[in-house]
Amino acid sequence: MNSVLCSVATRGRYHTTLPLTLNAIINQTKKVDKLIIFDDNDEPQDMRKELVYSYFFQMLDIKGIKWEWLFANKKGQHHIHQIANTMGFDWVWRVDDDAIPEPNVLQNLFNYTHKNVGAIGGAILTPPFQFESFKPTGKIENINTEPNIQWSFIDKVKEVEHLHCSFLYRAGGHDYNLGLSRVAHREETLFTYGLFKKGYKILVVPNANTWHFKNPNGGIRSETNQALYEQDENLFNNLINYSDKKIVILNCGMGDHVVFTHVLPKIKNAEVFTCYPDIVPGRSIAEARQLFGNIDQWSIYIKMHQWKWKGSLEDAYRKMYL
Amino acid sequence: MIIISPYSKALRNGKPNAKNYPYWKELIELIDEPIVQIGIAGEEQLVPDFRKNLSLSELRELVNQCKTWISCDSFFQHFAWDKKKYGIVLWSVSDPLIFGHPENINLLKDRNNLVENQFLWWEDTEHDANKFVRPEAVIESLNANFP
Repeated sequence: MNSVLCSVATRGRYHTTLPLTLNAIINQTKKVDKLIIFDDNDEPQDMRKELVYSYFFQMLDIKGIKWEWLFANKKGQHHIHQIANTMGFDWVWRVDDDAIPEPNVLQNLFNYTHKNVGAIGGAILTPPFQFESFKPTGKIENINTEPNIQWSFIDKVKEVEHLHCSFLYRAGGHDYNLGLSRVAHREETLFTYGLFKKGYKILVVPNANTWHFKNPNGGIRSETNQALYEQDENLFNNLINYSDKKIVILNCGMGDHVVFTHVLPKIKNAEVFTCYPDIVPGRSIAEARQLFGNIDQWSIYIKMHQWKWKGSLEDAYRKMYL
Repeated sequence: MIIISPYSKALRNGKPNAKNYPYWKELIELIDEPIVQIGIAGEEQLVPDFRKNLSLSELRELVNQCKTWISCDSFFQHFAWDKKKYGIVLWSVSDPLIFGHPENINLLKDRNNLVENQFLWWEDTEHDANKFVRPEAVIESLNANFP
């Protein structure tokens, strides 16, 4: 129950920060069970021919760390993270390709893994420091008015509502929102806040410092289409606006709706979107798509497939919504 | 009166749905009761009394009147179960432990016939008559459970 996948999504940083990131991961005091580099470059290269990378791959083999270099589909890093999220590991340590964790980061994050914990983050530090005088709360309601709590050293363990950049999270506990555009603006905020809403603790912890060499090129900053950021911000705001509701989206068959009627009365504060309002009253699926983008995370069939489900459909709905 | 709901939802690729029972005509011959077929326009009529495109309230009324019902794995088995009127479901490749209800009589020939992934579209699953119980087994169950 403690396997850790390290997931690195990379774009445009083969010869800048990615080697620093990989070196830092390889030299952690706690080894990961597997490292996967998801290569989202516009023009992918075979890095086995590069001197430094060839040494990295040999070091991984010598240290007994499984690794894979996968070529991603350029749909945005949220798609990459969702793949990592569903690969069957217990925990995923996601590390941005311009983030350089100190050697003890994974061990110190991992020390806080517990059945009630959904994600653990440390400090994400970019020199020069600008936010030392702030006392951020880490609450979602303050996201537009305070700096991220991870942007300064963290002096004690604190429960927050969302995390940023690089962190360790419980795999399979919540889905990344695939309705975001390829810029994936706010993807990690939505993801960790989703875990929080499911009742998991989201922690920031001391002595787990990652240096964030913000790079004006590559990664999300390769995307300059402002409309996509606005589209994602809109989707983010819609989801946050419904955060006091249990969003139910029934994009499934009539019979599935009938079965769901046996679970609905037990769901508190449900906001229902439905294909068959004469069976389960609610708003339309088109409206759900308009508000939340991709609605696959509410597909009971995708969920049952992910869970390798053997129980009843009714129990699957209970697992999903109760 | 017995309701039969012979067909599962039509597939988008036009192929026969692997969940559709193949021996309805033989089975109907063996049933010594008035039969009402329910379904939608375009489906093959198997008995003189075929009621198409019923509203949910009409369907509820009909279910209330029936002695029992026989259905493939379709919307109707859930609907009748919800109304606490139990009947016989004829299974083949979908799993009654997932999609069925224990209050119904679930006739599955062999669990080895179930498709491995129960949660994908049915378009890719070929119809195979050999994966269903024979009509004689259905009649035996009907007489035993709904005399």
